Amino acid sequence: MATDPSPCQSLDTLPDEILQHILFYISSHETLATVQRLSKRLNRLCSEPLLWRYHCLFDFQYWDTKHQIQEKFRGNVGDVDWKALYIHRRTVIHRTTEVLDSVLKVQVGRIEKFQQIAEFGYDAKDTLLKHCQTDDIAEDVLARRYYSNAALDHIHRSEALAEWHRLAHTDNVPLERALGSFDLFVLHDHQGDLLEITQLFDDLAARLQREVTGVDQMPPRQKALAVAKFLRAHNFTGISSDVAYHDLQNNYIGIALLHPEHPSLPLISAAIYCAVAQRLGLHAQCAEFPNHVHVIVYPNDGESLDGESVSREPSFEPMYLDPFRTDSEVPVQYLKSLLTSWGVIPAEFSLYLTHSDPSKMVLRTSRNILTTVREYRGHGGLDTDGHPSILLHANPFSDMENAFYSALWANFMLGNSSRRSGYEAYSRNQFIPMILERFERLYPMDASLIERYICAPLTTSKNQDIVQLWETLRVIRQGDMMPKPIHSRKGDECRKVLYKVGQVFQHKRYGYTAVIIGWDKECGMNSDWRVQNQVQDLSRGANQSFYHALVEDTSIRYVAEDNVEISTSDVPTTLMSLAGQYFKRWDRENRVFVSNIRDEYPED
Amino acid sequence: MSDVANQKITLVSNDNVTITVDRLVAERSMLIKNMLEDLGDTALETEVPIPNVNESVLKKVIEWCEHHKADPPTSQDDDSDSRKKTTDIEEWDQKFMQVDQEMLFEIILASNYLDIKPLLDVGCKTVANMIKGKSPEEIRKTFNITNDFTPEEEEQIRRENEWAEDR
Repeated sequence: MATDPSPCQSLDTLPDEILQHILFYISSHETLATVQRLSKRLNRLCSEPLLWRYHCLFDFQYWDTKHQIQEKFRGNVGDVDWKALYIHRRTVIHRTTEVLDSVLKVQVGRIEKFQQIAEFGYDAKDTLLKHCQTDDIAEDVLARRYYSNAALDHIHRSEALAEWHRLAHTDNVPLERALGSFDLFVLHDHQGDLLEITQLFDDLAARLQREVTGVDQMPPRQKALAVAKFLRAHNFTGISSDVAYHDLQNNYIGIALLHPEHPSLPLISAAIYCAVAQRLGLHAQCAEFPNHVHVIVYPNDGESLDGESVSREPSFEPMYLDPFRTDSEVPVQYLKSLLTSWGVIPAEFSLYLTHSDPSKMVLRTSRNILTTVREYRGHGGLDTDGHPSILLHANPFSDMENAFYSALWANFMLGNSSRRSGYEAYSRNQFIPMILERFERLYPMDASLIERYICAPLTTSKNQDIVQLWETLRVIRQGDMMPKPIHSRKGDECRKVLYKVGQVFQHKRYGYTAVIIGWDKECGMNSDWRVQNQVQDLSRGANQSFYHALVEDTSIRYVAEDNVEISTSDVPTTLMSLAGQYFKRWDRENRVFVSNIRDEYPED
Repeated sequence: MSDVANQKITLVSNDNVTITVDRLVAERSMLIKNMLEDLGDTALETEVPIPNVNESVLKKVIEWCEHHKADPPTSQDDDSDSRKKTTDIEEWDQKFMQVDQEMLFEIILASNYLDIKPLLDVGCKTVANMIKGKSPEEIRKTFNITNDFTPEEEEQIRRENEWAEDR
């Protein structure tokens, strides 16, 4: 065949539309690093907004709210500089990883570094999630998982507090988001953040509309009952057994939606009901009823609940439901009789038979959480039967601390002595010392949150405590910037320290398992502590090595060498998840955690 | 007699070669399918010119259509795909695409003209896979791309995207 000079030897000859088509099959990374450098024409085609919108859509899952990304995806493709947005996100990945690496490297400036990551907000979440799922064989697997989770937790808490702050100052926070903020405190790398909760409710409402024919045309009362029936039939409200009633997990709307058994307290059941019913156009809200939250459904304007038009004003006969217990209507007479039996006078009935605002429901949930945690602590340990389970997503002891912390914050953010209420005996400021104690011990990276939500609003009030508060924060931040004092083993005295950082032991007297995270040549505590802990009863008294030890219940204890018995059994998984704070990984062969605090203990 | 399975259509390439194929095979091309729908069966009795495609390319395209005649119709709306596009290519298509570069480009152009989206996809994926992992210089050489950047311009683009290189 004649080989006439073909115009088709070069990629340059292909039309734009085909080159664009090809670019969709090339990774964003390759496009940026290579293809856009090839020629001016390819450079132009590599900047097409449609291409980068596509990469933005599929390369990233979580976006900070500041981008309003859903509106952008829905809108006109040309209205957004998609390539710049994509590059911004790639920069965030790069920076987040860089800062996280530096957090892992040395115990200095961590508060500052966490804040740098937190400034990216939700844009950092994709990257942090990736690090949370670091491979088991990674050299620093425990540390990387621990600190990426810690950073993510901090970002989640920032979101939650921002939500509660909005709730305290405006009226337009949906109940499911107000309650879902509790989930954010315990979420870690799991599903169920505020956006996902909203999506789950949208899906649930859509499913109800599909499965219950004609629901949209029903008059309100019939529709309200249909919603209750649907939710109970699918187990979305109520709880499987009485034993589990006080379990911590029942307080979480996100867990209730995602857990296969959908466990929830009456309040959460009512909130689930309301979120679905509102999506179907019902005026459903949680009712202020004591002890057991009910749902109140109001008629639409000018219409009774049964759909008859009402000319008289007001057309005001609401109905009550208890989706936790039943899918039928609860007669108002029954509720009134309950109130009477509790000693409420009829003139005050209306206080309890009206709807409640979301902040009240957040406060009630926070009290449920505080009660559960106290009850659990009262029972003293995981092994007792018949007490509430505190297991949520991670180490149950951290879960419990996180839950408690969230409840303290909720009370501080939303509790207010001026609000009308019978239950609020506390002033919100009473919660500040408790928040601070936990901040110092467990959440130093929350310094910025303390400053924003506690210090800044108080500053104007000329409160004397505020001086103290700023001072506390200053000291913590300063301490964080200081390199740790070095504990070298050089010198004769240190040779006497038998055990090293990373060894796992059992306390001879108390039996708990712990890992050594530091040591002193002799007891470093004052005489009060020595007396209280009966140091003189030890065979070597205060004149022996003492160890700082991390225990699986998240506490850090100070243990005399006499009480250390090196453990030969398996390390509890609860300890494994906490160990990342100080250690890179577990060395199975030598049965030690590999130190990540060499800047403090260089020879261990 | 309108037994679609036995109907034939005659195509004429731009170098004037007539090729007769099964109607079902030819209808992998949305261009031909739409034309048949518009003109009705009268088109079956005339020769249909394919002005942009020569004999060897047209035969190659028909070979692909023949192999894929039983494939389910492709969805029109592929922006609604909920996942990132993959560059995976099924084995038969990979072998089919082992042609010289001129033919590869011709197939891509022909499938674009004839509106055979799955074939266009395979062609574009093949090119994308050839680009993967190569340096700019290697890609320019492979595909005869003229570098119209000055060294300074190219260096600037490189520097701006330096961070993209270590991932």
